[in-house]
Amino acid sequence: MKIMPTLDGGLRIEFEDESDWRLLGGVIDDAVSCDRTLAERLGASVGGPEVADDWLEFVVPELERSFEAGLARVGRALKSARLDAAGVAGFLWIRRADALHWYGALNQARLTLEEIHRFGSSEDVDVEDLPPSRRAPFLRSQFYCAVQSLLLEHAMG
Amino acid sequence: MTATETITTTRDATAIDLPWNVVVHDDPVNLMGYVTLVLMKVLGYPEQQAMALMMEVHQAGKSVVWSGQRERAEFHAHQLQAHQLKTTLEKSR
Repeated sequence: MKIMPTLDGGLRIEFEDESDWRLLGGVIDDAVSCDRTLAERLGASVGGPEVADDWLEFVVPELERSFEAGLARVGRALKSARLDAAGVAGFLWIRRADALHWYGALNQARLTLEEIHRFGSSEDVDVEDLPPSRRAPFLRSQFYCAVQSLLLEHAMG
Repeated sequence: MTATETITTTRDATAIDLPWNVVVHDDPVNLMGYVTLVLMKVLGYPEQQAMALMMEVHQAGKSVVWSGQRERAEFHAHQLQAHQLKTTLEKSR
């Protein structure tokens, strides 16, 4: 996979084989791989009883809809690019206007992986010490983080 | 015939409503540049102020990023959570 900035302030992702599609496509599955949704997790600790009930009733469902919509948008973009691809090689453009949605979807995936695996700061993690069941999710999270950094640098400033 | 007399007294009390704090917490996922960007976008802070608050979140574990009226505080907390930042609300002491 190659990722490069475009002149109009977006990113162009070049997929070379099936594993590239699977790797980036994993963002959708990873984002929803936890029993508790991100909105529930964020809403659960918002404050004391004075605000907690209203928050759970009114804000959490809205956050949930917004996060689901963001993931659906990214899922559609990936599916469309996959359909347009000739064979397994193909391209996907992330326009500047869509950068925040992509960043958000990648973030949902990373927050969910962190919720499940509790990696902590990546600087303190030695990949060699991780058991295989945690190594793969950690590496996916690091890959998502690298794409996020490119988005921040080239498409969101 | 007996008469029952009811005496009603009223008392006015005025107290200053305490402001609400919007608190952003550190987490190992959100990137520093993103947190700065969100604080600029949601709270309208200039880059330097947003960066100083982000550094406080990073180094102290949390930072009060806004204080004021409850409705506004709830609105800001909602916006920050919509950007996936771990955000809580607390009444000032």
